[in-house]
Amino acid sequence: MSTMMAGRRTSTLITRSTIAVLAVVALAMPMLMSDVTFFMQMVLAAIVVTGLSLLMGYAGQASLGQGAFFAVGALTVGIGTTTWALPPVLALVLAPVLASAFAAVVGIPLLRLRGHYLAFGTLALLLMVVAAMNTFDFLGGSFGIAGIPPLAVGSFEITDPRDYAYLALGCLALVLLISRNLINSRFGRGIQALAGSETAAASAGVAVFRAKLTVFAISAAFAGLAGALSAFFTPFISPESFPASRSFEYVIMAVVGGLGALWGGVIGAIAMSVVIEVINRISTQPGLPATAGPILQYAAYAVLLILALLWMPRGLISVLHGVRGRLAAMRT
Amino acid sequence: MSDFITYLVSGIALGCTFALVGSGFVVIHRVTRVVNFAQGTFAVFGGFISYSLLDGILPQGLAQLVTVVACGLIGLVVGFVAIGKPGTDPLIALIVTLGVSIFCAAVFITVWGQDPVSPPGLRGSVSILGADVQRQRLLVVVATLLTFLALSLFFSRTYVGKGLTACASNPRAAALVGINVRRMGFMAFAVGGALGGLAGALISPSVALSFSSDLPFALSGFAAAVFGGLTSPGRTLLGGIVLGVTGQLVAGYLDGSYQTEVALLMMLAIMVVRSSTFVTEEAK
Amino acid sequence: MLTVDDVVVRYGSATALDRVSLHADAGEMVALIGPNGAGKSTLVNAISGLVPIESGSIVTGGRVAQVPEGRQMFADMSVVDNLVLGAWRSGDRDPSRIFDLLPALRDFANRKAGTLSGGQQQMVAVGRALMADPQILVIDELSLGLAPLIVADLAEHLRTINQEHGTTVVLIEQEVGLALELCSRAYVLEAGRITVSGTTEELADSPAVRAAYFGGLDVGKDVQL
Repeated sequence: MSTMMAGRRTSTLITRSTIAVLAVVALAMPMLMSDVTFFMQMVLAAIVVTGLSLLMGYAGQASLGQGAFFAVGALTVGIGTTTWALPPVLALVLAPVLASAFAAVVGIPLLRLRGHYLAFGTLALLLMVVAAMNTFDFLGGSFGIAGIPPLAVGSFEITDPRDYAYLALGCLALVLLISRNLINSRFGRGIQALAGSETAAASAGVAVFRAKLTVFAISAAFAGLAGALSAFFTPFISPESFPASRSFEYVIMAVVGGLGALWGGVIGAIAMSVVIEVINRISTQPGLPATAGPILQYAAYAVLLILALLWMPRGLISVLHGVRGRLAAMRT
Repeated sequence: MSDFITYLVSGIALGCTFALVGSGFVVIHRVTRVVNFAQGTFAVFGGFISYSLLDGILPQGLAQLVTVVACGLIGLVVGFVAIGKPGTDPLIALIVTLGVSIFCAAVFITVWGQDPVSPPGLRGSVSILGADVQRQRLLVVVATLLTFLALSLFFSRTYVGKGLTACASNPRAAALVGINVRRMGFMAFAVGGALGGLAGALISPSVALSFSSDLPFALSGFAAAVFGGLTSPGRTLLGGIVLGVTGQLVAGYLDGSYQTEVALLMMLAIMVVRSSTFVTEEAK
Repeated sequence: MLTVDDVVVRYGSATALDRVSLHADAGEMVALIGPNGAGKSTLVNAISGLVPIESGSIVTGGRVAQVPEGRQMFADMSVVDNLVLGAWRSGDRDPSRIFDLLPALRDFANRKAGTLSGGQQQMVAVGRALMADPQILVIDELSLGLAPLIVADLAEHLRTINQEHGTTVVLIEQEVGLALELCSRAYVLEAGRITVSGTTEELADSPAVRAAYFGGLDVGKDVQL
């Protein structure tokens, strides 16, 4: 009995230390890197994918166009701060709100249907948002929206990219905190039942539809927040900023990281970012054709996705849990 | 008026290809309950393979035939990957097919490069009601109608076709009667592959395809299939034509090319309507 | 013709069949009765080869065809197509002999199976099973949801099929009276185990069976023994 307790204590210790190390590394990264963009992209992806992972893991729904809500968030900031001259902080707060409103509009009809309808529906929404951006000038037209002012609190302006990176990290921490509290709450237990069996959850009194809609809206809010941060960081947005392939990448990160796991989004984002870096290094080697880059990238994405789906359905998180378990067992 | 005829015909031709891709969705979905995201990829294969074959290897007609067969085989392989592992949830299978479509993009670039490709087709045009209509587009319409007829006969008259329909209708009873539902699923994927390949082979002389064309095909094809509730090939044909014609009319009379976006808007509208009528069989 | 020997079937950690043994000789009509959830359908599916057995053996001396619980029609296909598909594994695909055996089918041969009444569907299900020319016919809940007159009619047909073709019949039934009337021997399955077995006369006289099953019968039903 005491061995088991000791084992569990060691497990928790390993988890806490790992998170601590990750946090230290994360905080140090912006200082060490000359170009913060890569780090920023990774953190923003982690925010989006944490939400997506909740959606796919608990509500059992796939969203192939999560970028739609990222785009809505970015547009809120883009139009809000330029055309409507809103204070930047207000635009930042408004972004996730509008994004989840969009999600509700699409989700209320589509969540009643089988999963593949929402999957295509979000993709359709993304492409339509991009098309709308291209068509209507007030959404930026084909040139997009430039001149987004920096995020400012009062007279204090954030202009250093590193500061945005820290802000993003802060938002990631917030998102993780919200997710954790959500999972551990009574609502969270309800949606965990949902992940197991919809009929079982329904008979246990879980308001299935409302639960799915809530998770969907939350995932959209996270994506919208990331989009808003991205708009301040870049600081312009254009129709090309939201390709469908990025949304597919989110799905891959979610699957590889571990659906429904709290840290799944972070793990997935880190893993895929590493893969992309490696591929970039390989494909820019002399002697390889220019097309090597996209070929390797697509091939790697596809293989990772398919392998993860078929043979590692619980994602890297499950592998890490296994390692942690064995380490804990060794200590006791 | 002649403008209108041109848009109408090109819209019908385009719509027929959507319907072919869409019927692939329908066949696969009915038998396996899986939506095959790689359905658009089959169309791109159809365009590319026929292009390569027509480049001095095979004559017209034979090249397209071989292309369709080849795409059927590709469909079979995709089927193995998507539903080969027993007990795969249909939504997971959907994402697997997404992965397959991404992998195939890599294949396309490797073999055919990144530039758009357009094989030679039927040359010349015909005059209909004062408008110049390309022969190739007429071929698309005729071929599509014949294919749908053949499909309908296949499912209702042949024994294997009845077996496939049985799998779609009641998988439990099908297993009871001795039908290997898994094998039927693979066959459905092969048929879906052939249908997609035919669509690509037919439209690529008129519309150049590239490695990224699979997405608009998949979306428009799915939109056409949604018209038919993912179950009715007949309504898929109708849906495809409506989508194609609407898109071409919008493109012609308004500015820009919003073929895919029009299809998406209509698809979303249909899905919303469907959810409110809530036909339990198809909905859940 | 059919020997089930010490068969164990598990679903995960739950044991559905716990060392079940029964047998049926050629041309016999054997009944399997028992409460809901006892495992009757699992046994039926095991005999049909649809459910894997963990231990024990099932030996069949010929083809097995199942008339499933709830009829399981191919609803949007015609009656003819439903029958024709019954011959997927074996048997002549021409359904004329089935129409000869069950003439009432001719009345709705071209209608969609989903539009038929329960009794009509049940007849189609029996016909479909017979298309495979089976030596063993396994029938799961023949009378479920059907009016007594229709059940009696179906029972007559079953008797004819058994007597004229020598088809071995295994009848799973909740309607105990019907089971004991049609069959010569019966087994009682409770919670995955055979608790009672014997000739139908013996079972009808057994006070335990009477108490458990006749006590729960619909008052209106006539039990002829």
